Amino acid sequence: MRRRAWRVAADIAAKDLRQRIRDRSVLLLAVVAPFGLALVFSLLIGQPATFHARYAVADLDGGRLATAFRQDALDPIVAAGEAEVIDEPTETAARDAVGADVDAAFIIPQGFTQAIEAGQSTTLTIVASGSDTIAADMARAISQRFGDQVTTAQLSVATVAGLKGAPLDAATQSRVAATDAGSPPSISLEDVTATSRQLDLTTYFSASMAVLFLFLSAQVGLVSLFDERRRGTLARILAAPVGPWTVLAGKMLGAFVMSAIAMTVLGVGTSVLVGADWGPPLAVVPLVLAAILAALGISLLVASFASSAEVAAAAGSAVAITLAILGGTFTPTADGPGVLSALALLTPHGWFLRGLAEAHGAGTPLFYALPAVAVLATIGLVTGGLALRRARRLVSAR
Amino acid sequence: MTDGAVVQPDIAGLRVRDLHKRYGDLEAVRGVSFEIHDGETYGLLGPNGAGKTTTISMVCGLLERDGGEVTLDGATIEVGAVAAKAGIGYVPQELAVYPDLSGRENLRFFGRLYDLTGKVLARRVDEVLALTGLTGRAGDRVATYSGGMQRRLNIGIGLLHHPRLLLLDEPTVGVDPQSRNAILESIAALGQAGMAILYTTHYMEEAQRLCHRVGIIDGGEIRAEGTPAELVARIGGQDEVRLTMTGNLEAAASEVAAVEGVERSGVRDDQLEILVADAHGMLPRLLEAAESAGGTVRGVNVAEPDLEAVFLHLTGRALRDAESAGRIE
Repeated sequence: MRRRAWRVAADIAAKDLRQRIRDRSVLLLAVVAPFGLALVFSLLIGQPATFHARYAVADLDGGRLATAFRQDALDPIVAAGEAEVIDEPTETAARDAVGADVDAAFIIPQGFTQAIEAGQSTTLTIVASGSDTIAADMARAISQRFGDQVTTAQLSVATVAGLKGAPLDAATQSRVAATDAGSPPSISLEDVTATSRQLDLTTYFSASMAVLFLFLSAQVGLVSLFDERRRGTLARILAAPVGPWTVLAGKMLGAFVMSAIAMTVLGVGTSVLVGADWGPPLAVVPLVLAAILAALGISLLVASFASSAEVAAAAGSAVAITLAILGGTFTPTADGPGVLSALALLTPHGWFLRGLAEAHGAGTPLFYALPAVAVLATIGLVTGGLALRRARRLVSAR
Repeated sequence: MTDGAVVQPDIAGLRVRDLHKRYGDLEAVRGVSFEIHDGETYGLLGPNGAGKTTTISMVCGLLERDGGEVTLDGATIEVGAVAAKAGIGYVPQELAVYPDLSGRENLRFFGRLYDLTGKVLARRVDEVLALTGLTGRAGDRVATYSGGMQRRLNIGIGLLHHPRLLLLDEPTVGVDPQSRNAILESIAALGQAGMAILYTTHYMEEAQRLCHRVGIIDGGEIRAEGTPAELVARIGGQDEVRLTMTGNLEAAASEVAAVEGVERSGVRDDQLEILVADAHGMLPRLLEAAESAGGTVRGVNVAEPDLEAVFLHLTGRALRDAESAGRIE
């Protein structure tokens, strides 16, 4: 397209933007409504309450494995700010503390290390108060996990002994068991797998509402073609030295810019006002641009089958809402099980939310978000390409 | 941008040759031909559904034609001929303006489509605002304008770029008499200034007042063409008798048409319009025939023939009568 045609397309886009700003539709549809809904959703569903437990430990053993339990099972949650641990000199003191200001107490019995090193059973006692079941459950989980690691260590010892072809001496067994039991957990609190990376609820609903209304606002710009035809302004534009594809380019450009502005306002607004964390701009910006492309492609395809502004708006809204539901806009389903998760990835909404979650990965966020960017851009190009085959009829005067 | 313009520099003005357009089984335009020269105002006079808007849409390259040719100064005008449209100003029948923009914003937007920019655009916008009497309301949203003001803005947009050819498609439809008069005066001034104008209307008075030449169009065909005087002369010394009456006017028109010496008889509102060679000599027989169908004549008017009478003469129907046919424009 020549430079003049692009200049005219920009004029048409600027005129559309001015109209949308003046009739406040862009403000309502692309900013106020998604921001308000994101706020309502995140408030209704709520954030998990801040968890903090207070534990007591009565180490009656004082051995290597008792120390390992303290250092490797309890210290990390203390460091994460999730718990506070106090030492009690006796079992009685620990039991008394429970029910006062301690949620649960760990009683490490005398001979704990020796029993494990000897391959004998021993009991780690948990005394829990009835007032905070979460803290008690967490205490049980910590103990169970430590117990599992000890069991693993004991199995490792047995395996190593088999390979050597002779039993290990007691000192070596003890050293291996202690080392393995005290090794870093195999699953860290910071999730590292792709499928389980999650956005917090405020960010999730900010993003999901933004992408929902992105589709609705994108169609507004394209539906205006029908309004222009009905009003006669499209005929007037086409009677000027302006080609039909220039008009279409102007409409698309206007819708693109309007969507980009709205997403920017929403991104900044939800970050500042409700604390949403959209992720690093280097990954988020390509993701948003690709999502806009997908929204424009799908909206244009839907509009190309419509016969009037009313039909185009109704069909566009139906498609946008359906994709939003499937894509997990209203309930986080993208990382849910089975069918819901698969359906979410059939929609641009699902890919956008997934890409945003991936962008929170450590290292190179764009690398993690790249698959979602590619899928969204492909959706936009394919649907837009199909739509362009039919779009000429949209830009005819009669 | 595509531009299929083929320029023949030796041909000046607008030339329309043998235009054809079909919508399904309906042939909306059948072989329409005419020419318009610089400084000439040409009227297409016909009822609604005669094919005026279809013709004008093909002339300005909005509508694909099934046959024929349109050239402006030798350059072919068609849907894909983008650059060739630069010399045309188009004023559609509907109010093709943006109500949520101001008058000035409307003018600036459409001006830029014709490559007007900077000071030239600002000057032309001011000139058109002054011409249309909208300077005082230039910054107001068009939605707050009266119907007449919106109609004037609608015309002003078509004038922004000093077109070689101005196409006006029934620009006074729905306009109050005062605004209508102002619009007609403005168009007359443009014609006097040398602009070529194609003006479609179903108002005989407008065609007679504005147009140097008129093509009478009906059923997609130009039935007659010439200056208003030439067209009126075609019906010779015939007089037009208008009988205002009650009763069954269609039956009365049939009775009157059977009277010897009656050329044509038609109905317009509550009047019978009758073309006769000698109105005064035949008046008693006409009254008798009209009332023989059971109606009562309330008034009689004998008028000099005009374009209305010409249309009646050519088609057998009054202009208003023909409007109710409701064909595709």
